[in-house]
Amino acid sequence: MNNFFDRLFGNTRTGSKDDAKARLKVLLVHDQVDLTPSQLDAMRAEILEVIARYAEVDREKVDIRLERAHDQVRLTSSVPVRRVTSRGAVPA
Amino acid sequence: MSECIVITSGKGGVGKTTTTANLGVALARLGKRTVVVDADIGLRNLDVILGLENRIVYDLVHVIEGECRLRQALIRDKRTDNLFLLPAAQTRDKNAVSPEQMKKLVADLKAEFDFVLIDCPAGIEQGFKNSIAGADRAIVVVTPEVSSVRDADRIIGLVEAAELPEPQLIINRFRAKMVKAGDMMNKDDVLEILAIPLIGMVPDSEDIIVSANRGTPAAFDDKSIVGEAYRRMARRITGETDIPFVALEEPDGWWSTMKRWMGLAEVREVAG
Repeated sequence: MNNFFDRLFGNTRTGSKDDAKARLKVLLVHDQVDLTPSQLDAMRAEILEVIARYAEVDREKVDIRLERAHDQVRLTSSVPVRRVTSRGAVPA
Repeated sequence: MSECIVITSGKGGVGKTTTTANLGVALARLGKRTVVVDADIGLRNLDVILGLENRIVYDLVHVIEGECRLRQALIRDKRTDNLFLLPAAQTRDKNAVSPEQMKKLVADLKAEFDFVLIDCPAGIEQGFKNSIAGADRAIVVVTPEVSSVRDADRIIGLVEAAELPEPQLIINRFRAKMVKAGDMMNKDDVLEILAIPLIGMVPDSEDIIVSANRGTPAAFDDKSIVGEAYRRMARRITGETDIPFVALEEPDGWWSTMKRWMGLAEVREVAG
């Protein structure tokens, strides 16, 4: 019945369980890692800074995060590169 | 061979005491000599859920301090063979007992019983440490909610750090209708996050409130679907492996209600 009225009134709300699950996944990583969100932001910024010395990065689309896979916390990153710079030398 | 199982959860109010009482009843009814131990010193409740609160003379702390013998403190449940309660002290606190003393107590109980079930208090402090001290394994109770799953994850880590084997999971207060509507995490969602084996699913039911009011655990009631969930779990605990994992649900509608009144209640299994 609910479904019928939902369709009738164009209610397209998705189930809240997906929110629960997504929040939990982030929460459990943070519980395990013991870093504050601002420390994590700082880490992200520093990682990007290093990469940017060697490559031009699309900063809007950068995704660096901690994830839990099995019994392990893993740092995963997706960093779109526009081009690798020719002056990619290690700073003296 | 006897075994001590601690029922734990981290978060309060998810159903540890109800679970302990019902599993105790169900195991006893399978013919296993069973003692349920209330380790929530200062906030005892297992006696009330079992309806045995008026029969307490001695408690766990009396036994540990040597003021009475173990057998004097054990309360026999007269409704079934094989079931005993060791109540907690109400006027003491958790520091009245040490993990070493609990280990000794559990060893003494294991000499007398097939199953020793420990109702662990909420939290991760002294009461939790006491409760897991003598346990051979742990069962973690979780409700399909963010806060409960989070605490369960923490408890699973602590159980493993204490070098107990991988704990098993009970998903409590499962609502099939909400799961169907996508508003409650289902069995697979919870298992994906917690990654430990499932030992039972218990539907959310008014039976639990009624049985708590009366002091008669649902596992005594052969018509109760919640009781049936616990009876199945007890069989899994004793080692039966061929009991399918399904959520049980009371059928809706006036015809089903009529049938329940007439004692023709059916237990319907729905996919978790």
